[in-house]
Amino acid sequence: MVPIWLSIPFVGLLLSIALFPLINSKFWDHNQKYVVCFWFVMVSCMLFYVFGLKSAGRVVLDSIVNDYLTFIVMLFGLYCVAGNISFEGDLAGSPRVNVFLLAVGTILSSCIGTTGSSMLMVRPIIKMNSWRKRKNHIMIFFIFLVSNIGGCLTPIGDPPLLMGFMRGVPFFWSLGLWKMLLLNMVVLLTIFRFIDKRAYRKDIAEGRRPDISKAGTEIKFVGLHNLIFLIMIVVAVILSGTLPNMKEFQDASGKVLGVTLPFDVVLSYPSIIEILIILLAAFLSFKTTDKEVRRSNHFTWGAIKEVAVLFIGIFVTMQPTLMLLNEFGPKLGLTEPFQMFWVTGCLSSFLDNTPTYLVFLTTAGSLGFTHGIVTSLGVLPKTMLIAISAGAVFMGANTYIGNAPNFMVKAISDENGIRMPSFFGYMKWSLCILIPVFLLDTLVFFVI
Amino acid sequence: MINEYADEHKKMRALAGRIYDLDKRVYEEIGSNLGRVFTGDRDRTIDNIIKMFADTKESHILRSDLALISNMARSIRNKKVHKAVMTEYDEIVKTIDKLKLNSDKVEIIDKYIAGLNTLVMKKRFLEGQHLIICISRSYGSGGDDIGFGVSDNLEIDYYDAEIFKTVLKRLEAEKDGLIDASQMKISSASKLAKKNPGLARDEHFSLKEKISKLNRYHGLSIRDAVFFNQSELLCDMARKQDFVVMGRCADVILTNNCIPHISIFITAPLMQRVQRIMELNHVDKKTALRQVREVDRAHASYYKYYTGRRWGQAGNYDLSVNSASYGIKGSVDFILNVLKVNGIEKS
Repeated sequence: MVPIWLSIPFVGLLLSIALFPLINSKFWDHNQKYVVCFWFVMVSCMLFYVFGLKSAGRVVLDSIVNDYLTFIVMLFGLYCVAGNISFEGDLAGSPRVNVFLLAVGTILSSCIGTTGSSMLMVRPIIKMNSWRKRKNHIMIFFIFLVSNIGGCLTPIGDPPLLMGFMRGVPFFWSLGLWKMLLLNMVVLLTIFRFIDKRAYRKDIAEGRRPDISKAGTEIKFVGLHNLIFLIMIVVAVILSGTLPNMKEFQDASGKVLGVTLPFDVVLSYPSIIEILIILLAAFLSFKTTDKEVRRSNHFTWGAIKEVAVLFIGIFVTMQPTLMLLNEFGPKLGLTEPFQMFWVTGCLSSFLDNTPTYLVFLTTAGSLGFTHGIVTSLGVLPKTMLIAISAGAVFMGANTYIGNAPNFMVKAISDENGIRMPSFFGYMKWSLCILIPVFLLDTLVFFVI
Repeated sequence: MINEYADEHKKMRALAGRIYDLDKRVYEEIGSNLGRVFTGDRDRTIDNIIKMFADTKESHILRSDLALISNMARSIRNKKVHKAVMTEYDEIVKTIDKLKLNSDKVEIIDKYIAGLNTLVMKKRFLEGQHLIICISRSYGSGGDDIGFGVSDNLEIDYYDAEIFKTVLKRLEAEKDGLIDASQMKISSASKLAKKNPGLARDEHFSLKEKISKLNRYHGLSIRDAVFFNQSELLCDMARKQDFVVMGRCADVILTNNCIPHISIFITAPLMQRVQRIMELNHVDKKTALRQVREVDRAHASYYKYYTGRRWGQAGNYDLSVNSASYGIKGSVDFILNVLKVNGIEKS
């Protein structure tokens, strides 16, 4: 039995992320690593108090090595590679251009993953809209669509779907979510266009105007060879999902082979391969790209540093809450797709959506259905699987910490002159816009 | 009767010829990078100008063309040539007046109100700044004629929508080196909105042209791109010269760019304007009322879209004039007096 008070450090860290920038942003900017360190030490001590040194050490080290390390290496790789692709163009950020780019980014997310697509698209969008004053809503909708919802069509799109694929869900099954994606895209892009048009008009009324003095639009991507490294990273992520199922990477008992670390924590070979491929891609990207490209992209280490610091705290302090979820998730009595959609979604808004997805996939698989998609966890009706997948993927957009690229996009935007809303400010947007859209999804796809 | 008509036609032809020759001379003198106003061959151009004389709806285009020629003529450096050209220009304008071709012959004055007005206004302009007068006007209030009269009296350039459009097109043509400016002018004139002559003449583009425009205007809508171009052009011009500009949200554009100017709104009571439009457009009262409302609505919507302000709200302007109180000439004098009181006179 996991005591509920073990979740205090996680809540404390979330509140720190949410409140410190509001109360004293200067303090937060200078001391966030110490704040994260405080909650990290606190949860470690609490785990030690409850479970003893060995178990506590195992939980902490396992979350760092097997969850955080692969997560941050992937993010680092994509940040480096995307930072070496520069967009040189004078396409002016207007409502119609922004809608087009968000739509392209959303579809791209299913092809190269939400993180890859976000990193690739974020700078061009910021650049095109640099002439405007009111633009944080563009980045908010970017997080909604490109960093989250767009990843629902393939296992490459978002890690939970990759986990599903590893457990027997057919690779192309998630393409079946296209209707849901289309509805969400249409509704969200319509709302976005309305909001963006108002903001655009206000900008014009204030006398702002883009530089369109040159005849003709020039769009040029510099460092496009980095797309090869981007594909390398996508392949590495796919391999990390597929290699553990191969016999060559398993011992006689079916356990995945790897390097054993203290507290019996194992860093699996597939994870090592993934990390090495990604680091190689990042290295080659840096070696083969001119410094000027990074300079024109305003490439700094600030954004990735901030994400690295915050997320090590989040990944470790989140462990007791995930334990609670593992314990109580199956006992929640969830039997209907709409229940799965909301519970998976709400928990994915704050917790890592991959373990959340797995908990509810396991729960649904154990309900004894006889018709539907056959997975290694049991048979799941199509609607049930759609509900869990969509909940995990879509609702990561509800908060900054709901999905890996969310905070990254926020940090890059903050670095490039876009004042992004606070943690709660962002949630206000998601509550007012996303929740009604998800209610509509519930009505259309799970109730009627 | 036939002889009278023949005489009239002869006079018009002679006048059209003088306009064509004036344009040619100005162009030859300065070799303006804006190009010539009338670039077709002499006979065909004269025929087109005569058509403009005959149609009151097109007479304001002719006036705009004349204003464009005078704008260029004012930049002639040779004083002797400058004087000769401007004298010829003045004579042409006077002759046009005598022929009673212009819409400013249709009065709007309400003599009773006119008798009650006095003029009091304090000095406001600093020295050394270019005089820019932005005039917004409600349809049928005679604002165009008043604006033209003010610029003519002050001997400064006059820009209205047609001129701006032409200027932009020519700048574009120069950038691309592709578009024949004269063809555009003819096409623009031929596309006069038949239903409501007061409405801006939207040009229709083929799909190919639209794609090309999308590329040219950096993904912006043509309307927005034209507005941005106009804004840029307006600011550039405002730093170099004195002028009167009609509409185009110029007052707000200049305010946003911290460029001093005088903003004037000219209007008149609805029925007075309707009466004037009936006479100008040869339409019945109902049609005139519809036209006035449509044009006013279009102006208000455009102004609101690009400035966020309410068009015609007196508080947004330095001076709001009820042209029915003074008539066209009286309004011109009124504005000139206001400027004179503030130390601004013909240079």
